[in-house]
Amino acid sequence: MMKRCITSVLEQGNVWEESFATEPFEAGWASEARWFVRILDPVPAERLSITLTPQISPDGILWCDDTDSGAGLQLDLPVASTQLFTLPQRQFGNWLRLKVDFGGSGTPVKFLIYLVLKE
Amino acid sequence: MDVDLLEKGVAQALRRSDPILSRFNPLPRILFVNDFDSGTNGWCELSGNHDNNLDNLRARARDLRPPQLSTMTFFDTGTHGSIDGSYSMKLATRPKPGHMSQAIKRFTYAKLGLVQFEMYFTFKAETIYPVPGSPDTRWDGNYDPSVLQFGDFTISNDVGEGQDGERYHCALRYENTDREGELSQRWMYKTSVQPTTKMERNGTARSPDDYHVVDPGDWEPVPGGYQPLCYNEIPTKANWHYLRWVFDTRTRRNTELQVNDLTMDLREIPVPIYEHKYWGCERLLNFCLDVRTRRPVRNFLWVDSVVASVDW
Repeated sequence: MMKRCITSVLEQGNVWEESFATEPFEAGWASEARWFVRILDPVPAERLSITLTPQISPDGILWCDDTDSGAGLQLDLPVASTQLFTLPQRQFGNWLRLKVDFGGSGTPVKFLIYLVLKE
Repeated sequence: MDVDLLEKGVAQALRRSDPILSRFNPLPRILFVNDFDSGTNGWCELSGNHDNNLDNLRARARDLRPPQLSTMTFFDTGTHGSIDGSYSMKLATRPKPGHMSQAIKRFTYAKLGLVQFEMYFTFKAETIYPVPGSPDTRWDGNYDPSVLQFGDFTISNDVGEGQDGERYHCALRYENTDREGELSQRWMYKTSVQPTTKMERNGTARSPDDYHVVDPGDWEPVPGGYQPLCYNEIPTKANWHYLRWVFDTRTRRNTELQVNDLTMDLREIPVPIYEHKYWGCERLLNFCLDVRTRRPVRNFLWVDSVVASVDW
């Protein structure tokens, strides 16, 4: 059988004004994961910093940073809506999510976040 | 020799010797057999219409969450797995009252007639770790109040006959808890059409509270449709249930719904039809599954496998 590869949209243009994490996602069948993040509307750089950190969990309830994936990616704001940020994850078990930390708050940011999984 | 009879007998013998198909009872022609151990099989997140600007997705037809290939893993016992193998398809809501997750499989039809949708499914609300020092005193070792945290799930279709024909959705909901949050455990049918992007844009419908109907009260109990399903006491034990739903694209009606040992005759139940026409939906035949939470707790619907079949 051909190897499976599935792209899921975990944030579909959702607007957040403070730190959040994507919904828990089961990925036990996959050996590779890659996050792609877009910010759809311009964000004033002087009011905000954004850091992306992949997380893992044994049960989908309690989470820890996936330190194997590095220390997190701080976005260089402002960004164009066509700009992509990406992070890989491997050796993760079953559950994945992406933590999105806002340095500063109260600024609405519109996210399009993809999770691509493959065998 | 009666060739038709012979063919029917051979087909039945072959199906009953197949470990997966023998769990089902398909009509003569099988449209698809989906075992989620082999992938998502064309089931994907439903999304409303837009003009490539996601801001124009209507509120009830966005963020309906992508289906997951689930190992059904719980904190206390680990992986539950599926009927065969490890994976089932899971729909998961956000932990937000009223949030719904819906998956769709898109088809068209080659002929009018009976369409049968069968699946093995189970459902739960997400486990919530107890707050230390404040146990829920309603738990008595058998009854678990977590059953009240599961809202409902719905099976539905989308049938479009084309520019000169009708369009309608049959929708049947298992209401585990009612609008007051009480355990109701009954099957419901809807009495109004599903508001569409076109209706919201031309002002004939407001953004609904309930995706399927104009007003959230537009549901009626299916006669004889009270049916407690197997909760099995705690949120980390899940038992598979059999469901068989038949609808008729000639009469534009549901025919019957069987869930385990309960079969409901649905032929007299009306199905709302749009008063206006839809462009671009020629011979449309979509199958949809959704789950909705009424509490700030994620609700899950797992589907092990699906078989759809027709009578032509």
